[in-house]
Amino acid sequence: MDLNRMSNTKKLQLCRWYFKVGFVLLPFVWAVNSIWFFREAFIKPPFDEQKQIKKYVIMSGAGALTWAIVLISWAVAFQLQRVSWGATGDALSFIVPLGRA
Amino acid sequence: MSDTCSDTEATEHTALMDGHIAEARPDREIAERIARKRKTKSETQRNYGSVSASQSSRSSAVGRSGQNRRAASGEHQVEELELKYGARHVIKLFVPVTLCMIVVVATISSISFYSVKDVYLAYTPFHEETPYALTKVWNALANSMILLSVIALMTVLLIVLYKKRCYKVIHGWLILSSLMLLFLFSYLYIEEALRAYNIPMDYITLAFVMWNFGVMGMIVIHWKGPLRLQQAYLIFIAALMALVFIKYMPEWTTWAVLAVISVWDLIAVLTPKGPLRILVETAQERNESIFPALIYSSTVMYCLAATGTGEGSEDNGASGESAAERAGAGEGGSGAGGSGADGAGGGEAGFDAAWRARASEQAAPRRLRVDGTAPAHYVTRVERAHTHSDHEEKGVKLGLGDFIFYSVLVGKASSYGDWNTTLACFVAILIGLCLTLLLLAIFKKALPALPISITFGLIFYFATRYVVKPFADALAADQVFI
Repeated sequence: MDLNRMSNTKKLQLCRWYFKVGFVLLPFVWAVNSIWFFREAFIKPPFDEQKQIKKYVIMSGAGALTWAIVLISWAVAFQLQRVSWGATGDALSFIVPLGRA
Repeated sequence: MSDTCSDTEATEHTALMDGHIAEARPDREIAERIARKRKTKSETQRNYGSVSASQSSRSSAVGRSGQNRRAASGEHQVEELELKYGARHVIKLFVPVTLCMIVVVATISSISFYSVKDVYLAYTPFHEETPYALTKVWNALANSMILLSVIALMTVLLIVLYKKRCYKVIHGWLILSSLMLLFLFSYLYIEEALRAYNIPMDYITLAFVMWNFGVMGMIVIHWKGPLRLQQAYLIFIAALMALVFIKYMPEWTTWAVLAVISVWDLIAVLTPKGPLRILVETAQERNESIFPALIYSSTVMYCLAATGTGEGSEDNGASGESAAERAGAGEGGSGAGGSGADGAGGGEAGFDAAWRARASEQAAPRRLRVDGTAPAHYVTRVERAHTHSDHEEKGVKLGLGDFIFYSVLVGKASSYGDWNTTLACFVAILIGLCLTLLLLAIFKKALPALPISITFGLIFYFATRYVVKPFADALAADQVFI
């Protein structure tokens, strides 16, 4: 979609829709939302709906960041502690590496 | 889907296939209009300094002769614009085709899973397990005929559904195929990749990542999303399909299928009763566009709003719309695109011909245990935009099926381990693509994108593998440098 060809109300609707969808455990959608509408929210000259778009962009960005931190810490924890977790670690593992612990 | 987008039928997010042929003329008109505008400008400048008294008569005289001259050079201008425009779009297609091939080749070289033959598709019952060449040949031919008939059947089915306006069924079919590709095949891909690199992974992270990846893919392909992301997803799913073809078809069958599909493509698109041509023409009559999930577009497509406004927003999903196209290398070059239209030599005159529609084959690259629907149609087309403004931008569209078969050819070539062959095939395909686009600019009608490239690819593959490679090896062994 070319944002430049869309009316401001449509942009706001799209931004809002992406924001709402992100609540279903979809931080990727939030991340895409914040990046895609970043220019619209911060760099373009002010227009009517910009305030709201800015709000959604910031919230999406914050949400994506939070999730990213959570995911990364979980991934790191898993990778490092998988062996020491014994049976639980194995049960959680989708791929168990061959040839090493 | 788009509210303004025509009618009740087009309720799907996916646009339906779009015709192309009639659009040829409007493009020339646009180009001529632009050419005329330029001439008019220079003409007025010419008359600027003239004496006011006789100005009107002189200018009208000049105008008349100018018209004739203009008409003649207008033609030239149009041709030039068309070719220039077309050339730019050739380049725009090189990048995604190359990327797709890179993904496939990289996967084949690093993940051995895709080169190992254990299970085959249900569509290829002859497994070429004999050591006799002749048996292999007829096995391959039989398999390819079976696959071809499946493809032809699917295409005909699609056409029947389309003619009967069963858009919901088609839409559901497409959604199902993309779901399968985005979730199932990506999951298998990730699993094999992780296994190949021996990386431990837990279910939680995996589920989360797959969920995000899949849902984002569905949104961006079937609805609205950033263009680059959509292009990336389309390239990725084309690569996945190509990998499935490479893995699940016996050796000689793959080559036979490539050859047979190219011939089918040629027939289906160019003959008057060809199914793809019928499809394209029907779509054109109805002024609808193509399924977005099946086409790669280099620019953003908007719905051909009945209102005729350039309101892109409400459109259906990604590329497939025959609507206002924004040029500008597809990146928001929006404003620049609009104004650049006049200024830039590129002009709007580009390709108007639509390309060919691919058979709805996608047939089942499927595991024996998986039961699948044949995904839809891959279309190769160039679309034209109708914007309310004078400046029309044209993007170039190439069907996903073409991406897939190009990648199958290069991937298969690379699976033998020799880089010379791989590169030779790659270059051959790009040359074929250029030629096809050139023909498109000349003929301005729907053209199949497969035959030329695949023919060159096959020739180069067999020549390099059986002639050039031994030659190069012999030279290297004897340290003879040419």
